[in-house]
Amino acid sequence: MITKWQNFRIPIREQRLYAGLLIALILLIGNVKAGVLVAPTVVFMDEHKRTGRITVQNPSDEPREVTIRMSFGLPTSDSLGNVFVNLQDSGITDIKAATSWVKPFPRKMLLQPGATQVVRFVARPPKNLVDGEYWARVVVTSQEGITSLPNPTGEGQISTVLNMIMQTAIMLKYRQGDQIAHVKLNSVDASHEDTLVSVIVDLSSTGNASYVGLMHCRLFNADKQEIGYRRFDLAVYHDLKRRVTFPVASYKSGSPYSFELYITPNGRKDIAAEYLIRGNEIEYSTIIP
Amino acid sequence: MAENYSFTYSFVTSQRLHLWLKISLLVLSFLIVMAASGMAQDVAVGQATATVLATLAVSSTAALAFGNVYQGVSSTIANNNASASVFTITGAASSGIMIFMALPNYVALADGSDRMTISFSSTDASVDTLGGGNPTTMAAGSGFQNINPHNFPAAAVIGAGGTTNIYLGGKVLPTIDQTAGAYTGDIILTVAYTGN
Repeated sequence: MITKWQNFRIPIREQRLYAGLLIALILLIGNVKAGVLVAPTVVFMDEHKRTGRITVQNPSDEPREVTIRMSFGLPTSDSLGNVFVNLQDSGITDIKAATSWVKPFPRKMLLQPGATQVVRFVARPPKNLVDGEYWARVVVTSQEGITSLPNPTGEGQISTVLNMIMQTAIMLKYRQGDQIAHVKLNSVDASHEDTLVSVIVDLSSTGNASYVGLMHCRLFNADKQEIGYRRFDLAVYHDLKRRVTFPVASYKSGSPYSFELYITPNGRKDIAAEYLIRGNEIEYSTIIP
Repeated sequence: MAENYSFTYSFVTSQRLHLWLKISLLVLSFLIVMAASGMAQDVAVGQATATVLATLAVSSTAALAFGNVYQGVSSTIANNNASASVFTITGAASSGIMIFMALPNYVALADGSDRMTISFSSTDASVDTLGGGNPTTMAAGSGFQNINPHNFPAAAVIGAGGTTNIYLGGKVLPTIDQTAGAYTGDIILTVAYTGN
């Protein structure tokens, strides 16, 4: 029996409308009052689908001037395991950079309050591109469309206004041919102070695509009781050191501690399964004397 | 013989064409039935689909408001003051983020005829991972308090509630002969996920 609820199919246009409404709902939950929202947070393109898109939305009450530019910047780390992203607009030497051959359209727009704009990307990769994954950063910059200068309230007085310019840098990945995601554990260095256990996990990507997954870290005391757990979104492009810290009451009271590491490509919620390249898993444990 | 041959050939050809026509019609009918079946199935099941996309939003919810200042009298706003600047980052809960802030060394009159020094000390920022949005009520231990806005911690994350706030204070130093008027400058906040 076909009911009235079964006897319809939502057209693609309406599906997109619902997706937009969903984003609006997320906005309301997130209580965003100004600036712009960008979705998704990773753009995937490949040799068969050389176009990509993001949605930029202005949820504020004021018009926003939005510009889009291509940049480059991978998650990298210092020797202490602090992870950061250095954005590079020029002088890019990484052979995996797609910055020069991916173009956004449009590059500049004025978004009225509540307005949404789709930004498309077109890839024109060089011929004979070697199999693998190529990367760029999409930098979405927004600021107030009209900046009003404050009037000093008294003659001879001085006032200031600071324009707040917001930039969101999201990842763009272009995939060519066969993809392999594989990460290698180089070392795990643990150290401790009286009330802090620190572990630096040293990783390298050995595939031709970025390794994306989760890193689970657990600390156990001498009685095998779990006293600390940390979970990180992990993205390894070349080399990456990741520092993990666990506060402890007193090192002597619970030692020797043991540290367990589990790296898995499973469990990411921010990237659709169809775009995840299943990489390897790593399990490792060590005693911290 | 030639006529017989011709007739036989024509007859066989005709028979083959007829057979091909039958097969074609059969295949066509089969495809139509399948298509109709598929359409019927679509209608019968009915689908409402929406793609959930991960988002990242960076916004300024309050500007650094020095108000009116006076010649030769510096003005300081602490990062836990109600007049501090408030930035809001909304995204995937507990995800690692890179925060970078480009801060001006001075603010200038619109016509560029004079400029005024603005400074940000190594304790002028706080990162509130509880996402309260109020610089005056940031709870101790809910992120990073009184940190350097030129060097945000690498361990910064989006809070468990999906929101992180940055509170920024600063100081303007008008000279004794500072030209009266409205001074402007840019603060650029850049945010990126470090885990994708």
